[in-house]
Amino acid sequence: MTPTHIALSVLLAPLASAALITLLLGRRGGLASAVSVVAALFIACGALWLAFGGDRFTASWEWLRFGSFAVALGIKLDDLAALMLSIVGVVGLCVHVFSLGYMRDDAARARYFGGLSVFMFSMIGIVLADNLFMMFIFWELVGFSSYFLINHWRELASASDAAKKAFIVNRVGDFGFLLGIILCYWANGTVSLSELGAGHVVYSRLIPLLLFCGAIGKSAQLPLQVWLPDAMEGPTPVSALIHAATMVAAGIYMLCRIDVLMVPQARTVIAWVGTLTALYAAMCAITQRDIKKVLAYSTISQLGYMVAAFGLGSVGAAMFHLTTHAFFKALLFLGSGSVILGCHHEQDIFRMGGLRSRMPVTFWTFTIAVAAIIGMPGLAGFFSKDAILVLAFENNRAVFSVLAFTAILTAFYMIRLWKIVFLGEPAGEPARHAHEGGISLTAPLVLLAALSAVGGYWRAYPRAFDGVFSQIPEAGGATHAIVLATSLVVLVAGAGTALAYYATDGGDTLERRSPGAFRFLGALRSSFDTGYDFYVAEVQQRAALVLNFIDVVGLSGIVVRGLAGATEMFGFGIRALHTGRLSTYVYWFLGGVVVLWAFAAGVL
Amino acid sequence: MNVPLDPLLISVAAPLAVAVAIALGLPKRWAVKLAYAGFAVPALVAIDVWWRFASAAKEVHGYAFLTNYSTGLDRLGIGLKLGLNGISLPLFVLAGLVGFAAGLYAIQSKAERMKTYLLLLLVMQAGLMGTFASVNVFFFYFFHELALIPTFIMVGIWGGRDRSYAAMMMTVYLTLGAMLSLVGLIAIYVKTGATSFDLMILRDALASRPLGEVTQTHIFGLLLFGFGILVSLWPFHSWAPLGYGAAPSSAAMLHAGVLKKFGLYGLLQIALPLLPFGAAQWSHSLAVVAGVGNVLAIGLVTMAQRDLKQMVGYSSVMHMGYAFLGIAAGSVLGAGGVVMLMVAHGFSVALLFLLSTTIYHRTHTFEMDQMGGLAQKAPVLAGLFVAATFASIGLPGFANFWGELPIFFALWNFSHGLTLVALTGTVVSAVYGLRAAARVFFGPESEAFARVAAVDPPADIAWSERLPAFVLVAALLFIGFWPKSFSDGINRALMGEPAAVVASR
Repeated sequence: MTPTHIALSVLLAPLASAALITLLLGRRGGLASAVSVVAALFIACGALWLAFGGDRFTASWEWLRFGSFAVALGIKLDDLAALMLSIVGVVGLCVHVFSLGYMRDDAARARYFGGLSVFMFSMIGIVLADNLFMMFIFWELVGFSSYFLINHWRELASASDAAKKAFIVNRVGDFGFLLGIILCYWANGTVSLSELGAGHVVYSRLIPLLLFCGAIGKSAQLPLQVWLPDAMEGPTPVSALIHAATMVAAGIYMLCRIDVLMVPQARTVIAWVGTLTALYAAMCAITQRDIKKVLAYSTISQLGYMVAAFGLGSVGAAMFHLTTHAFFKALLFLGSGSVILGCHHEQDIFRMGGLRSRMPVTFWTFTIAVAAIIGMPGLAGFFSKDAILVLAFENNRAVFSVLAFTAILTAFYMIRLWKIVFLGEPAGEPARHAHEGGISLTAPLVLLAALSAVGGYWRAYPRAFDGVFSQIPEAGGATHAIVLATSLVVLVAGAGTALAYYATDGGDTLERRSPGAFRFLGALRSSFDTGYDFYVAEVQQRAALVLNFIDVVGLSGIVVRGLAGATEMFGFGIRALHTGRLSTYVYWFLGGVVVLWAFAAGVL
Repeated sequence: MNVPLDPLLISVAAPLAVAVAIALGLPKRWAVKLAYAGFAVPALVAIDVWWRFASAAKEVHGYAFLTNYSTGLDRLGIGLKLGLNGISLPLFVLAGLVGFAAGLYAIQSKAERMKTYLLLLLVMQAGLMGTFASVNVFFFYFFHELALIPTFIMVGIWGGRDRSYAAMMMTVYLTLGAMLSLVGLIAIYVKTGATSFDLMILRDALASRPLGEVTQTHIFGLLLFGFGILVSLWPFHSWAPLGYGAAPSSAAMLHAGVLKKFGLYGLLQIALPLLPFGAAQWSHSLAVVAGVGNVLAIGLVTMAQRDLKQMVGYSSVMHMGYAFLGIAAGSVLGAGGVVMLMVAHGFSVALLFLLSTTIYHRTHTFEMDQMGGLAQKAPVLAGLFVAATFASIGLPGFANFWGELPIFFALWNFSHGLTLVALTGTVVSAVYGLRAAARVFFGPESEAFARVAAVDPPADIAWSERLPAFVLVAALLFIGFWPKSFSDGINRALMGEPAAVVASR
């Protein structure tokens, strides 16, 4: 087994699992989940083996060729891909195991696990892709898996709408992405990452920005962020894996892959899109009552940090935060899943409370994750967020100020969530009877909590990811002191305010005390959806109806028939049909052929 | 030349022989059994020749499996010459497999006057196999007519709502299109002076002595209008949604899936190589009409449809716009994409028509407003419909993607603006495709559907309906995962097979 074979089998194992489940195990939920989990275990082992044991290599097979245009199925395993592959493998395995418990009573368990396998296949394809064609192909496929899994509870109109919205919004982003690939191909004559990386790139502002459109869609950046909160209609483990840790981070991974194409002006745009997204989403998170929606907006906000880090020029900082975020955000979502299950599918945080003593494992692991995301010194998020703040401080003070302010908000909404859910007294009947789940639910929480705690000490990692992490910016002297002081101040400010401000009495304190601010944040949150809904209903649908009217009445009714002068044939046709002599045409045609043949053959 | 074992001739003769046997008064019991064979033989032949094509001995222009039969009209250059090259092979396979699926679906449909229905479908099947296996332009056209006439009759007799009007519209439009293209083909024959309808001879003659530029432009125009009407080029598309909306499902599958590709095939295999100058003259107008008319305008019109079958019909008109754009782009890349798209669209639209009728049997309506929540009652049907929808909107993993991607890339070198239009189409098709899937299958049951379901509880898709659907899905996935299985042959045919490979005759 060469590393190439291992990489190929890691890619194809989940495909085989999905095929097996679809074809044979549709009604065998237990067996289907076993197959899928075994595939995930295989992926995790294979990914870690490739990352830590194997060589770095590229390999490529031709898939289709027309003239000089060739699409290849290829693998490029460098440190960047190895890091991403490890994240996908480890978080993927945790989510698969968690799903065993979470989805135990679901009637369509086989379909669910089949969908997870399709997703793993697609995601690994993105990670290993050695060219932009292949990345686009698997990019679309993760979009499909996302659609499929959001739509899992099919009888719910909300789930169906959310799935549709996710796919269509992503298609809008992919419009730009594909256009960028087309431009890149014709400008450089190749879209192979290795060949582009070897230099001779035609620099343009347009190409990186168009490719970035793909990341705007997939990573839910402004103005295409609207699909991600709705995507919470899917089962919670799906939210953890796809809509927090891996797929939505694929946008950042893709940007890091095409780093070589970047030009300064494009970077500036990217940095500001990320920064504004981080701020906007953090403001939206403050007023949410649904535990998953808080986390969804938090995800958008954190993705904004990563995009900003990339825009400021550091692949290292972006990927570092992607890594730690994958651990603590997956943990937060799985923890919320544990809470939701414990509270009998209650998702309103103001009907929870007091879960600290009732669900201790969930409480402690969730606490570690919250501490990590708000940047508690020593935990994973502290190091990666610090790296981004150092980067911003050195390159762009305006971005630095916005990101630092956003960090206050992050601490504020996370501590709000944590306090209302776990502290105080239960606010609802379900919370009173909450209880911890089985080992398949708690084991992934513990593993991810460990990673969230120590994931930031990248120097202690084996050397496998040095190609990425050696690019993490480090500050010395005054910069270091200022940034460190800033992050501690924002942490204390945000967390302290939330702890003091929110009461655990079953209602939103902000709504009660400052209804104006509450309404403003709510309006801010819904402004994009309102705008898009208006466009869809009033512009797009009207245009469709008008064109339909023109098509039916105008074109087919008047113009073409008049122009073609077919009115008489028309009458002939009506008569032929109405007298039931449909075969008239047949006789004419056959007669004609016979006459022609007889004439040509010299019979006549 | 071993006449009795010529696979191409068998693929035409087998369904025709069964049709004749049925016409001679075979009892129904036997008719149905024999019809299975009549549909299966072309499909098996198609797979067999696909399997052997790569290693088969090639003659000029990359043709393999060539055979020639005298018709008594040899002095006019009309001989039944059968053969396949890299462009016709994929369509031949398409015809074989879609024909098989349509045949299976027809046999289980419990249509009235089943024997006549099968007879007409078998004649159509024979015509389709013959069309794509013919190297002689005369027979290429003749077989098309052989397949076309049964379509009109089937719409007229077994059609749904508005069947007389629909049959008449189809007859008028398609006859007009066929006549225009016939005039164009005869014009090539006359102007070449080669005294042969043999495409290989015509190509050689015109390669050394091309037609004048004005002549080329006129003839290409005729062919473009003629073939264009047959492929529902905007604004001559009105027959398509209407006709398919009314047609019985197997006829719609065969016409929209296979026969409609005749026009595109004619443009690619005959008009482009024979009239390159004329093609270049027309390409810009064609691209604008196809891009703005077929893709953008009809794409939006598709969004407005409430009738499931009409929507599928309009979406098919829209996707033909991509094919025209690929032809207009005028490169190997564009043309290659068109061939892939023709095959892929053939499978996916046939599947969508099959599933639409299957849905109708459960909802008793094509109105999407009166459906909803069918997935809970029919999960396998829902899965198949979602697969068909994603195939038709170009999701990678299905064949259609390999048609659209090369076309988009080729188009950029031809026109930046139209590339943007074509890419907009990918968003538009996602909107109507997913909207339809959601309205039919997902969410809670609608009141109307609940009433129907109370009277006639819907079952999931039955095995007799499932089998033809599986054939089509399998084909879409096969090409989607292994595009080289067809693209290599297409590429060689388009790049021009070198003369050195001419085998010893």
